[in-house]
Amino acid sequence: MEFSPVLYIAIPLFAAFLIPLLGKVSKTLVKLTPGIVFLYLSYGSILLFPKAMEKPIVQVVAGFKPPFGISLYYGATAAFLITMVTIVGFVIWLYSYKFIIREPIEKYYMLFMMLITGSTGILLTGDMFNMFVFLEITSIAAYSLTAFLRDKDGAEAAFKYLLIGSFSSTFYLLSVMIIYSYTGTLNFADIAGKIDLIPPMAKGFVLVLVLVGMGIEAEMFPLNGWAPDAYSQAPSPVGAVFGGIVVKAGLYAMIRIVFLFFKTPEVMQFLIFMGILTLLIAEMAAMRQHQIKRMLAFSSIGQMGLVIIALGIGTMGSTSAALFQMFNHALIKSLLFFAAGYLVFHSGSKQIEDLEGLGYDKPVTSFFFAVGALAIIGLPPFSGFWSKLLILVSVAKAGDIAILLLILTGSVIEAIYYLRAVVKLYTRKEVPDNVRRTPISGLVAMGVLAAIILYVGLYPGVIEKWLAPAANNLLNAADYIKAGLF
Amino acid sequence: MLYYIGAISLILIGMYAVLTKKNLLKIVIGLSIVDSGVNLLFISVGYVKDATAPIFSLPSLTADKMVDPVPQALVLTAIVIGLATTAVALGLVIRLYDHHKTLNINKIRQLKW
Amino acid sequence: MRKAIAILLLAIVGYYFINVFIHMPFGEKREGVGKYYLENTVKETGAANVVTAIVVSYRGFDTLGEVTVLFLAATGLGAILFGKRGEKRRLQGASVIVKTTSMMLYPMVVLLGAYVFVHGHLTPGGGFQGGAIIATGVLLMFMSYRHFNVSHNALTWIESLAGLTFATVGLIGLALGTTFLQNFLPLGTPNDLVSAGIIPIIYIAVGFKVGAELTGVLDNMLKTIR
Repeated sequence: MEFSPVLYIAIPLFAAFLIPLLGKVSKTLVKLTPGIVFLYLSYGSILLFPKAMEKPIVQVVAGFKPPFGISLYYGATAAFLITMVTIVGFVIWLYSYKFIIREPIEKYYMLFMMLITGSTGILLTGDMFNMFVFLEITSIAAYSLTAFLRDKDGAEAAFKYLLIGSFSSTFYLLSVMIIYSYTGTLNFADIAGKIDLIPPMAKGFVLVLVLVGMGIEAEMFPLNGWAPDAYSQAPSPVGAVFGGIVVKAGLYAMIRIVFLFFKTPEVMQFLIFMGILTLLIAEMAAMRQHQIKRMLAFSSIGQMGLVIIALGIGTMGSTSAALFQMFNHALIKSLLFFAAGYLVFHSGSKQIEDLEGLGYDKPVTSFFFAVGALAIIGLPPFSGFWSKLLILVSVAKAGDIAILLLILTGSVIEAIYYLRAVVKLYTRKEVPDNVRRTPISGLVAMGVLAAIILYVGLYPGVIEKWLAPAANNLLNAADYIKAGLF
Repeated sequence: MLYYIGAISLILIGMYAVLTKKNLLKIVIGLSIVDSGVNLLFISVGYVKDATAPIFSLPSLTADKMVDPVPQALVLTAIVIGLATTAVALGLVIRLYDHHKTLNINKIRQLKW
Repeated sequence: MRKAIAILLLAIVGYYFINVFIHMPFGEKREGVGKYYLENTVKETGAANVVTAIVVSYRGFDTLGEVTVLFLAATGLGAILFGKRGEKRRLQGASVIVKTTSMMLYPMVVLLGAYVFVHGHLTPGGGFQGGAIIATGVLLMFMSYRHFNVSHNALTWIESLAGLTFATVGLIGLALGTTFLQNFLPLGTPNDLVSAGIIPIIYIAVGFKVGAELTGVLDNMLKTIR
């Protein structure tokens, strides 16, 4: 059986249904299953990668051609992002292996796999309602995982997330409804061809609905109120999934719909404007945080703002830079969440103040945190340097010096609070000798991420050569329509 | 026409409940009302005048005398998804009540912005 | 103060909302995929109920997602309410009239639910509707009798097996060289019970799954009352 895109969704589902039965046999089998699934999916995504980069693989499901059936659109952008998702998913599984010790463990792995499946589905699908279904899969898994630790803050954060997330799906469903009633079809490529059947007022309303609905998932200002609570109250690997995978899927969905249906200069300007607001407000809020995971959450929001600015500029160079930044951010933010998770575990508190001195007590974990911090600020020789540079270059080429200065301001603020945390780590202080060691699985997970970050930092060409087809796939609506409706 | 306005009113009433009510259960009910309103709206979009249900149970029924089946299929899925969200919401309400012994959302607002 | 802002916001949103929908044609025939489905369902899938054919066959992927969502909700609820399960429901037992009537109605309700999901391709209804009816019957028994219990083990087995059936049927299509969820069984004559290929199989699996899941969810919530 040849590896085909539908397996990204079918195999994790199969495994998730199997886990309760496996749980009756042995707990270890349950813990190992996601790892096997992710290894297989990563292998498959690397296999399909070159083919997808040349020409999008459009796979039909249930044997009926689009637009009468659902199709999966595995284009260059999807291939790039899905490879990132499967690799990050594998690393997060590795970290969770020893980190999650609180019952019920098998439910954690089921929810975790479904969260990643949902995000992959959003990246893969070529049908509007199918995207709604996968959006809901992602959201419900996310709500449950946020409350996984069952403490009172977790339940509150999850409830807030749930309320705001329900609005997001309601708005998206309303937009599907309006689009269907005018165009009579649900397939992205088909709608893109028929978009002018919708009268202007309805079109504007749909645009607002999509921006608000998917903007909530993509953490655009001012719709990101749920994010800091959710990221900080969820267990650390789940925080990594949120910041590394879920938000990217939400952003991809928003951008795909906007670029296919509504690509006008005003909309792009609006995106740039919102991106700037997101970046600056999030970075300033991050500086005022005392809890380390909330700080990381705000930093995530800020980085997404940066990506939105780059996408809003809309040139080939800026879109490639945005995709590169998404890739790097997924790896770096996961590394930071992993390190923060164990630092919090060792120090017993979530406050940054209480991390003082851990640099000497737990040198390896703190080292990884420092690597992540330097990478996200954008210092060489780490990968973050290249993506940020590319974004700044493309902004400069577009001639907007004001935006350039604002981005630099945001970066400076970011540098301040990250370096502040790193300095705290390495301030000498008498710490009681802590016998708990960071488990090997956690260290290996962090090591893998740090190695990739360093490697891409030294040889950015490895990633850069795939950026052009991926960016082209995102920008070029005509190609999408041609491939989607064969 | 009336169907549209009725369904939209349901949605707005539900949103009002979510935004202003203080009791957690009333907020969840508001969410449920929004879901019902959206589903009703969706089905109304598929209505065709003087047409019947899209089931070929008798040979006399022809395709052009039937309503649009697609919104009905989509709403089927949407209802189930709405139910799943409500179930998780209620589970969270049970947890929150457990910890705080109150259903008043103002007393539960502990996490800062 | 807060109510005033909310009303203002909703009024603005509502105004645009109604404006958009007023101009939308109501009750007119729609061109598009709906027409194609109505004309070609019986030929291509053999089912008489067009909505079922769309849900299971044309847009079967959505149904897979929906089944996953329900499964997720049950799992998530189990994770959130873990550790709170008492063994007894602290409800008062109901009166004699309610108890006797529920006992008589229960098997009929379950039978109705089973009928609905087995005949999903012929009559209105299907897996989800049938499963919900079965869960309602069980709820009736839960609320009338304090000691009516469903084994959680059995529920877990039914859920997982039904889900695996659905996924396997889809994967078989893939393994046979065609696409995922392809209809690989003979279509038979329309309006027969055994027709429409894999549609009845999937819907029966879905019916069991939904019934088991909703029962589990209800049981989970009812048992948290100490």
